[in-house]
Amino acid sequence: MKHILVIDDAATVRLYHRNILEGAGYQVDEAINGIEALEKVLVQPYDLFIVDVNMPKLDGYGFLREFRSQKDVLQSPAIMVSTESGTNDRTLGYVAGANLYLTKPVKPNELLSYVRLLIGDLA
Amino acid sequence: MAFIKKQTAHVESEDQDIRGLERDFIGLVAELDSDDSSVRRWAVRDLMPMPESSQPLVKRLTRENDASVRAAILNALAHLGDSVAVAGLVDCLRSEDAALRNEAIDVLKEVPHAVEPIIGGLLTDEDSDVRIFAVNILESLRHKNVEQWLIGVIEKDTHVNVCSTALDLLTEVGTEQSIPALNLLKNRFSDEPYICFSVDLALKRIANGSD
Repeated sequence: MKHILVIDDAATVRLYHRNILEGAGYQVDEAINGIEALEKVLVQPYDLFIVDVNMPKLDGYGFLREFRSQKDVLQSPAIMVSTESGTNDRTLGYVAGANLYLTKPVKPNELLSYVRLLIGDLA
Repeated sequence: MAFIKKQTAHVESEDQDIRGLERDFIGLVAELDSDDSSVRRWAVRDLMPMPESSQPLVKRLTRENDASVRAAILNALAHLGDSVAVAGLVDCLRSEDAALRNEAIDVLKEVPHAVEPIIGGLLTDEDSDVRIFAVNILESLRHKNVEQWLIGVIEKDTHVNVCSTALDLLTEVGTEQSIPALNLLKNRFSDEPYICFSVDLALKRIANGSD
């Protein structure tokens, strides 16, 4: 079973993503900010990350920059999901190491399509 | 005894060298533009007790590249907490620098007395991103009007992400007085699965009396 880490400081958003992903057969873990996510990737490899941008302590950009610099952990794809739709925010996401930048709110079918595409799980 | 006094004077002299020679307001403001980040950091620290420091600190904030100096400035502005400091922090919400935006949000959460008079304006700002950040500030503001402000947002704001951000928080703090606004929101955004999901969750939590 493919393992996905959802990183978002909003509990409702984490639950929303968890419901969608678990409903499609994925195993899901959660982290409430970039720091907690970095701690989790040290002990558990993940097949995909869904990363919010604005989070306390360490935001999504900071998480991806730090994660992408760690060559000894599995460098899985990351979907950045944000309320901010500006070109600059999108560019910053890709520069930090996102594979895809989506603007909230994300519809379930849209999210699952991109997850399957990036995780190599297409039927 | 005399020996001890002499030694103390020597230490103070060294400390003075590190922190610069002039510790008056004008000298400290000048040191905010020093090329040496430790000099700038000390200047920020020594400006903090001076009430007129907000303006030069705000001016320095957006140009400051050193993370530790920036943290010191933000800490000083939170300590000062006057209208100039808060206005400077609010300007940071419009910055292209995501880290600065987040840092400003964290500081504004710490000064509820200063934020209260301006939160209404932020929640109706023409920039939807600023309205979202304003809701983020409410998250930890610990103010008695938080629920009422959030109800106002989900009743009136037309931007789905502003409403969804308010909804995220209302799911945690909402009471029975939020129920009509929640139902109205679900009707307004009936084609948005996330809004419907969150409203249902909020209503369920309110019904269960969950904290």
